[in-house]
Amino acid sequence: MEVTLLIQATDDSFRILEDARNQAKGLLDSARILEDAREQAKGLLDSARILEDAREQAKGLLDSTVGVTSETRQMEKQKIQTIFQGVQETKSGFQNFIVTFSLLFVFWILLSGKFDMFHLTIGVICSIVVAHLTHDLLFANVRVGDTMVIVRRFIIYIPWLIYQIIRANIYVACLALSPKMPIDPHVLRFRTKLESDISWVTLANSITLTPRTITMDIKDGEFFVHALDKRVADDLHAGEMEDRVAHIFMEADHIYIQDALDVARIYVELRKWV
Amino acid sequence: MSTFFLVIGLGLCILVFFVLYRVVFGPGVFNRIAAISAIGTKTLIILLIMGFVYGRVEMFVDISLVYALLNFIGVLAASKFLEMEKEL
Amino acid sequence: MIRSSEDIIIRTVSRVLVPFIQLFALYVIAHGHYSPGGGFQGGVILGASLVLLLITYGPKETRRHISEKSVTVFSSLGVLIYSGIGVICLLLLGNYLDYGKLSGILHVAPAEARALGILGIEIGVGFTVMAIMFSIFFDISSGGKPPEDEKE
Repeated sequence: MEVTLLIQATDDSFRILEDARNQAKGLLDSARILEDAREQAKGLLDSARILEDAREQAKGLLDSTVGVTSETRQMEKQKIQTIFQGVQETKSGFQNFIVTFSLLFVFWILLSGKFDMFHLTIGVICSIVVAHLTHDLLFANVRVGDTMVIVRRFIIYIPWLIYQIIRANIYVACLALSPKMPIDPHVLRFRTKLESDISWVTLANSITLTPRTITMDIKDGEFFVHALDKRVADDLHAGEMEDRVAHIFMEADHIYIQDALDVARIYVELRKWV
Repeated sequence: MSTFFLVIGLGLCILVFFVLYRVVFGPGVFNRIAAISAIGTKTLIILLIMGFVYGRVEMFVDISLVYALLNFIGVLAASKFLEMEKEL
Repeated sequence: MIRSSEDIIIRTVSRVLVPFIQLFALYVIAHGHYSPGGGFQGGVILGASLVLLLITYGPKETRRHISEKSVTVFSSLGVLIYSGIGVICLLLLGNYLDYGKLSGILHVAPAEARALGILGIEIGVGFTVMAIMFSIFFDISSGGKPPEDEKE
């Protein structure tokens, strides 16, 4: 009797010990898992810090690249502020008319070259008639930006483009005259960050005007460009031309006056309700 | 200077004949249209050079502008017509 | 029937070019007595600008800028200007299109009156040529059928 009780007790104690050991093992395991987790967390933390650093660097880079276009950003910020202050201010057709008229009149003087009263009067009348007929054509899709600024920047862009054309011309002449003719024609396909149709067309025509490349088609912002050799592709992917075109049409910073205008309309509604 | 322009103009005239070969014998319509447009561009430059030779550039600038314009619209209309035809 | 073009390059380029082409046409008309050109050539260029609009934007969009009714009006107005100036010269006891007699009502010297008269004649010719060229192209391109959006 005593013996069986003893055996039972030892059995029980063994079982309890076993349980305890199992539990301890489980605890140990979980501790190890926790340890692992902590390690991982530390790793994550490190990577997060690295990411943070990278972001800081990227921000610095962005600031330095956007430095070129800070003028644009300033202007757009001011515009947005004025829009929100005097909430209703949309671009009128009249302003378009004035800009079209002045462009056409400059074109007339370039053509005519006569400065007597009679011809200047005819020029003013003709410019007014044509501007009245077509002022919605010339600036149809330009986002509400400063048209005079766009015109000024476009004029600044032209000498750079001519320099590029001359450089590419010499390059193609060297390619064609070298006896081995090391050409490697292929079709490039890339997506741009430009967003309005007029900037697409400016970029496409700049690409076509530069020898060795021809824009074949644009489909939904995707360019198909035929290039003469490999170096051209690298030049295109570097995207200096694209950046400059974006700078002309004030698309560099992705702050759009049009978006601000859209928001402004909702803002007015909200203010009415409140 | 006049002989310089004359020589360049004659050289361009000879180059036109090379392109004319593509217009006459070129396989397919697209080659012909592209060649005609190239001839138009060359003619424009030849007109300007003639203006320098005759010493009346401002007159020939107008003519070459009209030529460029009609060349552009003509090529566009021809491509449009072919697009409507559906068969090449 | 001409459909509007889908190609974004052609659409944008012609949109930007059309005002300059029209101004150039008016320049050719106005400077007809100094440089090559005149009423007929300027009218052809004006018509060409409208044809460019038609083949890129299609008949519906073009009709927003210039309708068939106004084309008819322009073609008659040009003839009216031309013959009107001639008849005014007749009424001032000159020959038909004798511009020198216009100095009586314009209060300028006969030479200047002659220049103004020629300018008026050329404007008339330009209007008519533009309207007739455009309407010929419009009618042939639509194949004689009435436009779709005017059916209902």
